[in-house]
Amino acid sequence: MSGINDLDLKDFVTKTMTDVFDTMLSMKIEQIDGGAEGIDDGSQIVGSVGFAGKVMGNVNILVTSDFARLMTAEMLGMETEEIESEEEVFDVIGELCNMVGGDIKSRLCDSGFTCELSIPSVTRGNDLKIESMGWDRYECFGFKYQENTALVQVYIKTAE
Amino acid sequence: MALKILTVDDSKTIRMIVKKAFRPYDCEMLEGENGIEGLAISTKEKPDLIVLDITMPVMSGTEMLEKLKSEPSLKDIPVIMLTAESGKDNVMNIVKMGVTDYMVKPFKGEQLIERVEKIVKLEPKKEKEVDEDTSKKYFSLDDGIQFLAFPAKITRPISVEIDGHLKKKIEEMKSSEVKKFILDLRKVSETNVSLIKLVLLIIQKCEKEAISIRLVGSPDVGKELKSFQETSEIPIDFSIDEAKANF
Repeated sequence: MSGINDLDLKDFVTKTMTDVFDTMLSMKIEQIDGGAEGIDDGSQIVGSVGFAGKVMGNVNILVTSDFARLMTAEMLGMETEEIESEEEVFDVIGELCNMVGGDIKSRLCDSGFTCELSIPSVTRGNDLKIESMGWDRYECFGFKYQENTALVQVYIKTAE
Repeated sequence: MALKILTVDDSKTIRMIVKKAFRPYDCEMLEGENGIEGLAISTKEKPDLIVLDITMPVMSGTEMLEKLKSEPSLKDIPVIMLTAESGKDNVMNIVKMGVTDYMVKPFKGEQLIERVEKIVKLEPKKEKEVDEDTSKKYFSLDDGIQFLAFPAKITRPISVEIDGHLKKKIEEMKSSEVKKFILDLRKVSETNVSLIKLVLLIIQKCEKEAISIRLVGSPDVGKELKSFQETSEIPIDFSIDEAKANF
């Protein structure tokens, strides 16, 4: 158990989020303290990806629906009003989650915690509150782009 | 002859990014959502290159690659594998699979093209070929009237395509003294922001050149246009004959 507590999850998550947002969305995000208040109320979208092996865990990325649409428009090279369906937004969030999860998984594997990644899932709702129990470690990191916030939750435990 | 590039990824977003990267080049883009579709298209079309995602439902990229390699007519098709995982073990496994190259997501389109150019020779698309290929899809001249028929749905790429031809068509109208333009919306099944913007643009360009323009569409489309402030005052005819009579 001490192994996963030694992992610098903040560094893992910050590097991967910065890289993904910069490369795919041309957005320069910055890591902030807190950030939950930025997406506490209203319509939200959460992308989730799991991993299992020597370590098990989940990575959730929460954003407001508006920010998700902005991210989709940037990724697809269009205006937000030109987004044709929610399916496009879900696909973008799912793919971003896949990239962030994939990079975190790679870093875990390189640290000796081999695992495999699940296919991402995306949920939309209002006033979402996500709680997950039974993990050895839970961390939440906020990121800001202009007036928008993204929260990344990482749950992790070693396999029995 | 255009290169055939097959992109196989369950993410429509990634497929769009890959297609967009190849847009400036003389390529025919094919796409599949999973390994089974990818194999079927590969067998039928014999692409010159495959850009293949690893993690997909139904059949993974790994499985598809194994089947490609076991098929004599497909085994030599170069494959660039896409992966979200940059770890050493993952990269080693990919290389052992016998792929030509790999890309770790996230990636920019230009980075993908750099890798592709090491494998196949990409030729820039000739602009004239693009014009000849696509303008006839929408534009026609009949009885001294320029027609532009919209498809069922105007997406941003279609809007860009039509706008790309419009200037040339208006120049042709001026030089051949065609002064009437019919915008045919009868096939339109969905109004959206792209359609409204394009309608306004076309009307503006015609008015600037003193070209008379009539819109033709169904009563439903007429009602939809009236619900947008920008197009609420634009009259709409319900048939081509009506539009001709109203010039």
